[in-house]
Amino acid sequence: MKAVLERLGHLPRDARDTLFLLLVIGWVLVPQLVRLPLWCSALALAVLLWRATLAWNARPLPSRWWLLALLVLTITATLLTHRTLLGRDAGVTLLVVLLTLKTLELRARRDAFVVFFLSFFTMLTNFFFSQSLLTAAAMLVALMGLLTALVNTHMPVGKPPLREAAGIALTMAALGAPIMLVLFMLFPRLAPLWGMPGDAMTGRSGLSSTMEVGSIAELALDDSIAMRIRFDGLPPPQSELYFRGPVLSTLQGRQWQPLRSGFPQRMQDAPNLQVEGDAIRYQVTLEPNNRPWIFVLDAAAQQPVARSMPMQMSAQLQWTADRPVSDLLRYSVQSHTRFRHGPLRRTAALQDYLDLPPGLNPRTMAWASELRRDPALGGDPARMIDAVLQRLRTGGYQYTLEPGVYGQNTADEFWFDRRTGFCEHIASAFAIMMRSLDIPARIVTGYQGGETHSVDGFWILRQSDAHAWTEVWLAGRGWIRVDPTSAVSPGRTGSLQRLRPVPGAVASALQAVNPQFWLGLRATWEAVNNRWNQWILNYNQSTQLDLLKHLGFESPSWEDLGYVLLALLVASSLVGAAWTLWDRHRQDPWLRLLARASQKLRAAGWPVAPASPPRRIVQTVRERWGAADVRAQALTRWLLALESQRYARPGADGATQLARLRREFSQLPWPK
Amino acid sequence: MALAQPFPHPLRHPVRHLQARFRRWLQSRLTPRDVMLLTQRNVYILPTRPGLMLAATLLVLLVASINYQLNLGYLLTFLLAGSALVGMHLCHGTLRGLSLQLLPVEPGFQGASNTLAVDLVSTRKRVRYGIAMRMLDGSQWVWTDVPSQGRATIHVAFKPAQRGMVPIPAMTAETRFPLGTFRVWTVWRPASRVLVYPAPESHPPTLPEGRPIAGCAAQAQVRQASGEFDGVRAYQRGDPLKLVVWKKLAKADEMISRDTHQAQRHELWLDLAETGIPAAASGVGPALESALSRLCAWVLLADRMGLDFGLRLGGQEIRPASGEAHKRRCLEALAGYEGGA
Repeated sequence: MKAVLERLGHLPRDARDTLFLLLVIGWVLVPQLVRLPLWCSALALAVLLWRATLAWNARPLPSRWWLLALLVLTITATLLTHRTLLGRDAGVTLLVVLLTLKTLELRARRDAFVVFFLSFFTMLTNFFFSQSLLTAAAMLVALMGLLTALVNTHMPVGKPPLREAAGIALTMAALGAPIMLVLFMLFPRLAPLWGMPGDAMTGRSGLSSTMEVGSIAELALDDSIAMRIRFDGLPPPQSELYFRGPVLSTLQGRQWQPLRSGFPQRMQDAPNLQVEGDAIRYQVTLEPNNRPWIFVLDAAAQQPVARSMPMQMSAQLQWTADRPVSDLLRYSVQSHTRFRHGPLRRTAALQDYLDLPPGLNPRTMAWASELRRDPALGGDPARMIDAVLQRLRTGGYQYTLEPGVYGQNTADEFWFDRRTGFCEHIASAFAIMMRSLDIPARIVTGYQGGETHSVDGFWILRQSDAHAWTEVWLAGRGWIRVDPTSAVSPGRTGSLQRLRPVPGAVASALQAVNPQFWLGLRATWEAVNNRWNQWILNYNQSTQLDLLKHLGFESPSWEDLGYVLLALLVASSLVGAAWTLWDRHRQDPWLRLLARASQKLRAAGWPVAPASPPRRIVQTVRERWGAADVRAQALTRWLLALESQRYARPGADGATQLARLRREFSQLPWPK
Repeated sequence: MALAQPFPHPLRHPVRHLQARFRRWLQSRLTPRDVMLLTQRNVYILPTRPGLMLAATLLVLLVASINYQLNLGYLLTFLLAGSALVGMHLCHGTLRGLSLQLLPVEPGFQGASNTLAVDLVSTRKRVRYGIAMRMLDGSQWVWTDVPSQGRATIHVAFKPAQRGMVPIPAMTAETRFPLGTFRVWTVWRPASRVLVYPAPESHPPTLPEGRPIAGCAAQAQVRQASGEFDGVRAYQRGDPLKLVVWKKLAKADEMISRDTHQAQRHELWLDLAETGIPAAASGVGPALESALSRLCAWVLLADRMGLDFGLRLGGQEIRPASGEAHKRRCLEALAGYEGGA
């Protein structure tokens, strides 16, 4: 080990530079490794290690045939893996392959540049998958590393320590940061220039427009924040914190979909929403999810207020915007937790909420007809619902994150075989049972619960708070929310227990040692993340236009951004030009002082040429006044001091000496 | 001295012709000076090919950021662009404010490599990295770093094409530090001239026969070396004191030496008219040049052998002598010989 370190310190310049560059490339690739196809990650690591060994042992690079063979092989593999060479994922794979293979061909300066530029691209591809603070920090380090390596290749003399190159890279980045900020704030945020490949937006999670059993369970593992809420006052009790999202009313096989009614529009039921009690007012900051859904606390009768984003309410009380939420969206809402909606009497349109896919879940159907015939219940819907909920409570049903894979008859499996499930299993099985009992039922998805953030006081809803519950229709009461999950696991909705994925080794160790510290750490981290999201990731066109408004534009448009940028450019160019002009006329301070002295003498009519050196002036002074004259001696002393300052060894006190001479200038006995 | 090389033919090589003309014009605009302070006015900057590649990279990064709506992508692109912009200023600043000072130049031979020593003086606190110099039409860069508030000496090789007091051809200093995306350079014409001796012929014929001293050589009888005096002659520098006829000096105030058989040796004269190259003495052009180059080789040879020798170039005559100073005088005469006369 010691020998290796020793060797590392005495590597030849070439080997040291190559190893450093490989290290930086490795750092750029690390976040990608888990996302790339296995063969690609393995190949990238192997090639980098191979190249490092060659550099370490000062061995020659492999021939071009090797490279060509590897290239053909990897392109074939990419084609086989992704079925295409275009698109984002295939592009990233190819890029990583090209970058690592190019390191085997570092012969000329041009090759080095190609490696640098490919690395910049690879850095960008990291952002496809994550734009978190951590990724940003890692890529900042990578950028510094790349700049350091680039600067280092342009220090051709000797073997300067990498520290020097790193210092220069840091200086450049630090001075470049203001330029970055200005461009970031003012560069117009354009819409995508052309159609995006279909895989562009994956990696952004959230609820989906359909619900297949098992899809919300995936979300439970996602700790990212879905929305932040600031209540004007106290938040309502946790059991009422249902944030309504897509309502799924049509069951196709095992998939719940939005209502696809067989009835014409005029026969559809109106929302018929009536609210009671005090309104709860709050502002929501919704994370972008590329869906038009506006999540509100059940139920909001008035349109949520968001700038330039009209919204409308569906018959199922769901609010939607006129376009997908692709940026952070803020809106204020008034909700009432006491409300009733839906028709009071049975209508034909309710038939949509009774449809079941034929032939599925026979055991559930049999159990339903058994219940309907049960004399103790007397066919009363409310009592039948209670009976089913009672079975959920007492029948040994369990709420779990890992219910296993369900087959076709999801309700049968849940009710009779597995008896375990996540909220969507429970809600789906419950809704199917209701419909079998001839009670109109539908599934509502959204978020439920949440928690107060301990640092910044926002009410936070995470993707892991995604929930599915049911609504059943009862004559005379309309649609009523029934959350069967709370029957299985009262803690889920009452005290907001969450099934948490097993934390990692470090996290669990920390949690075990000091749970308070761990929570505090997590809270701070999330607050920082919140700032990051609010300031950086959600900086968009509307924020830009707000900025312009602050700058005094009446009705800013994105062309104004261009004008502001242009004005800044012109201003900085003018400053630069002024500086150049000043620099051109800037004289050596010593020469300036000498010129002032000879100017004084010329003004008195003495024959002093403009370019006379001090000693020549001394001569003139002595000729005019005589060497013994006091004034002549003072002038002579000053002029000779000026001369010796010029020819003194360059040192630290040169400037102070000159300053002293400049101060003395005005007190000298100049001739009148 | 004819400096101008002919331009390439304007019709056959129009581009090269224009380039050469432009270059000549550019150089003629430069004031020759031995100390040049590099300022905004004489430092030029243009992007390099990698610089254009970086610009293309930035553009692609920007398009990717727009298309995928990546705010971090924007940050990366703009930080990189900002750093490159700062790099441009650093690159320009590496040369700006630097002072180039030509150190005294040693004379050299035509066609042989000579070195120019140039001091790069920096008054700035920051180190100036990666500065390269070469002759403007040379190909070999010499690299150096200039320490903070210090100086670095660069030795640039050049091959003078003409003999005589030749102006030092234009030099160029360049840097691509720190990112290699911009090339910053300057062109410098030193005011000094360098003395260039003719190229010594590589395989000269043997030295010409010495010839007896003029005047007495014809009558002098060759005897065996006996140490006896044969007569007197005018004093020559280097005659031993015991040979001086002191009585004569006292009477006539004239230095007379006794002439011995040894002293009556042959004198070696290197004469332009007797180099064995026809038409050299009167002519100019290649014949004269090759004759001068033979004479140069002879001068060096004779000096190496420690012989006394004289040099006759047309009307110009350097009396026989030896030693480093004499050799230089002869070489200078050869370098400056204009022909004709």
